[in-house]
Amino acid sequence: MVEPDFSAYPMQDPHKPDLDDSLNVTESHDRLVREAAAVAREKRVNDGGREPVSLWLFAASAVILIAAGLALGKAGNFFDYDEYVQPGYMRDNLNEGGDEGPPPVDALKGYMAKGEKVYGKCIGCHGPDGKGGGAYPSLAGSQWVLGETDRLAMIILNGLQGPTSTGKTYGVMPAQGIGMSPTDLASVMTYIRNAFGNTKGDVVTVAMATEGIKISEGRAKAGQPLTKEELDADHAKDLPGDPLDPAAKVDPVTLNPVEEGK
Amino acid sequence: MATLENDQDTILRASIDRSLRHPVMFFFTSGAAWLAVAILLGIISSAKVHSPGFLDSCPWMTYGRVTAAHQTALVYGWGCQAAFGMAIWLMARLSRQTCRNAGVILTAGHVWNLALSLGVIGILAGAGTGMPWMEMPSFAWMPMLLSYIAIVVGSMVQFKVRPEGHTYISQWYLMAALIWFPWFFGSAHLLVHGFSGSPLGAAGVNAWFRSAMLLMLFAPVGIAMAYYLVPKVLGRPVYNYSLSLIGFWSLAIIAPWAGMQKLTGVPIPNFLPYLGAFAAILFAVPAAMAGINLLKTATTDLATVNESPTLRFTVWGLIFLLIFGLASVLLNLPSVMRITQFTISGYGYDVLGVYGFFSFIAFGAIYFIVPRITRREWLSRRLIKSHFFLSLYAVFGIALVAIFGGLMQGVGQETFTSAWEDAADRVVPYAVMTTVSWCFLLVSNFFFFVHLTLMWLRLGRRSSHPTLLVEPHHHDPHGPEGDIDNAGPAVH
Repeated sequence: MVEPDFSAYPMQDPHKPDLDDSLNVTESHDRLVREAAAVAREKRVNDGGREPVSLWLFAASAVILIAAGLALGKAGNFFDYDEYVQPGYMRDNLNEGGDEGPPPVDALKGYMAKGEKVYGKCIGCHGPDGKGGGAYPSLAGSQWVLGETDRLAMIILNGLQGPTSTGKTYGVMPAQGIGMSPTDLASVMTYIRNAFGNTKGDVVTVAMATEGIKISEGRAKAGQPLTKEELDADHAKDLPGDPLDPAAKVDPVTLNPVEEGK
Repeated sequence: MATLENDQDTILRASIDRSLRHPVMFFFTSGAAWLAVAILLGIISSAKVHSPGFLDSCPWMTYGRVTAAHQTALVYGWGCQAAFGMAIWLMARLSRQTCRNAGVILTAGHVWNLALSLGVIGILAGAGTGMPWMEMPSFAWMPMLLSYIAIVVGSMVQFKVRPEGHTYISQWYLMAALIWFPWFFGSAHLLVHGFSGSPLGAAGVNAWFRSAMLLMLFAPVGIAMAYYLVPKVLGRPVYNYSLSLIGFWSLAIIAPWAGMQKLTGVPIPNFLPYLGAFAAILFAVPAAMAGINLLKTATTDLATVNESPTLRFTVWGLIFLLIFGLASVLLNLPSVMRITQFTISGYGYDVLGVYGFFSFIAFGAIYFIVPRITRREWLSRRLIKSHFFLSLYAVFGIALVAIFGGLMQGVGQETFTSAWEDAADRVVPYAVMTTVSWCFLLVSNFFFFVHLTLMWLRLGRRSSHPTLLVEPHHHDPHGPEGDIDNAGPAVH
């Protein structure tokens, strides 16, 4: 065992009487204080207090216990290794439990918002402002855009060749119908009829667009771009279907009508 | 009054301090250096939360790696090493035994640092395990565990051969921490790296381990140190002895159950997360017992608390312990838990525990221990004050802002019909505040590190007067306190 280094501080053995004159106790004490001042000035530690403990500490502990009990109450059966995540912890249905999904919006607004996204496909040629330019015709103010919906649906779904409504001939517009859902078609038609300065103010509904896709599939030359002659002959009419009040409420995601007050 | 017995006691204490000088100073200075590394990495990782483009071209500096390296450096570089330094010194002092294996401890300390350095480099190189606080590649844990055993085995022997009589409350806490650490560190790493179990099981073990580091290493060591420092500097008995014991035993019973609450909603047996939440909430009881017991002791002499660097840090560490306990209650309530589970709240909670509570007490301990083992006084009250205030503001800035910001983030995430980006946007102001706070901490710890390094180089003040945080009395009959050599010339 390594003894404390007493030799550095010459001092008497405390068990022997103080007889040695050669050693000055005060001097050795001073030296100790000088060299290990921080240690020498230390006070004793004592953990033996007996002050009365305030009741509010126990009251606080009781509150903590209650809070802990709330957590424990969710634990179900203890040491049940077959019971996994508690029923009801996760949402079964997005519309359950007060979460009603996104709030309904006006039909025209909802169709326009969705249509603007679908129009992303058309921007490359017709431009973000719908004015076309160069080799591409403008959608703003176009008679065929603002006119009969059957004609417009056919052009979008199958493309166009030959002269346009203004009589001018541009290049061939390729068919856009592949993979296009009735919702996409309805919303993009509504969008171009009400954007770029166009103010038709009506909504081409999903039901109308569904009819349009059927008509397109029933064409004799299905998939071929249309010409002015075919459009004037077969498609100079509106798509069948009930009109929708532009101010009616629809779900912004599905575009399905939503009953008021729900 | 100078008596022979007092002097003998002083000599014994001075010999203990001298025997531990090199290992303890090594752990403190190395810990402070790692703290600087952790803070630098913390600034980078926090900046990436609000400015994702920052340093994004360097794969070593991607968010996932930097955050993991930051937490590893903070926990194992600073936290553990500060805990080792405090534990071996305090156990030697309380067991009244000099250290006889300083060389072994010093060697083991270097092994620990080597393993940790390679581990952190491994994380930054992309070999991290992806499990928080167990991020280091699997080669690191075994040398760290072995060096840990070499570091503390002497302290356990010292406790065993201590003089008969009263066992001081700090010794209870220290022995518990010394025994718990190899248990949870070894078993957690063995379960994760040693056996090829289910990754879900590994995630559970990891969550438990992380909680154990806070509640079964940092909490008991910090509380043990505070139970020593407060009565020691004040020279007053601890407020109530029974309260100390209740606090200790409640921690011992509660702490091992906590941790799994991080996995609420995960397909593990349902009772585990809620049992974890139960224990995590109950941790507030031992935290309050220890915190209030010592704060009641400290309030008997607030003037001394104010002027002593040791007590200022320690008392604020205890206040943070109470806030830490409160945060444990609030964040682990089942209704709050599901909101904050995937937010920055957990990070704020960890920083509150590691930096707010534990590190403040560690700083207090360092300001107490270093003058004793180097036999020099701290050089400058201004450096200490800057360290104190900047750290205090920074902890509030990081911990409380992150906890609250996490709640806001969680509320944003719960409104699932709006874009995820909206929830992320809510975090930005809090993340900016966190980055600013880490910058505060960098300045704060620059002062601390410089001061500590000067002390380590034995360039401290030779004086018999402690460095206190009050203005000096210019008309003191004993001369200005800051005088070099005012205790007379050195004898050898």
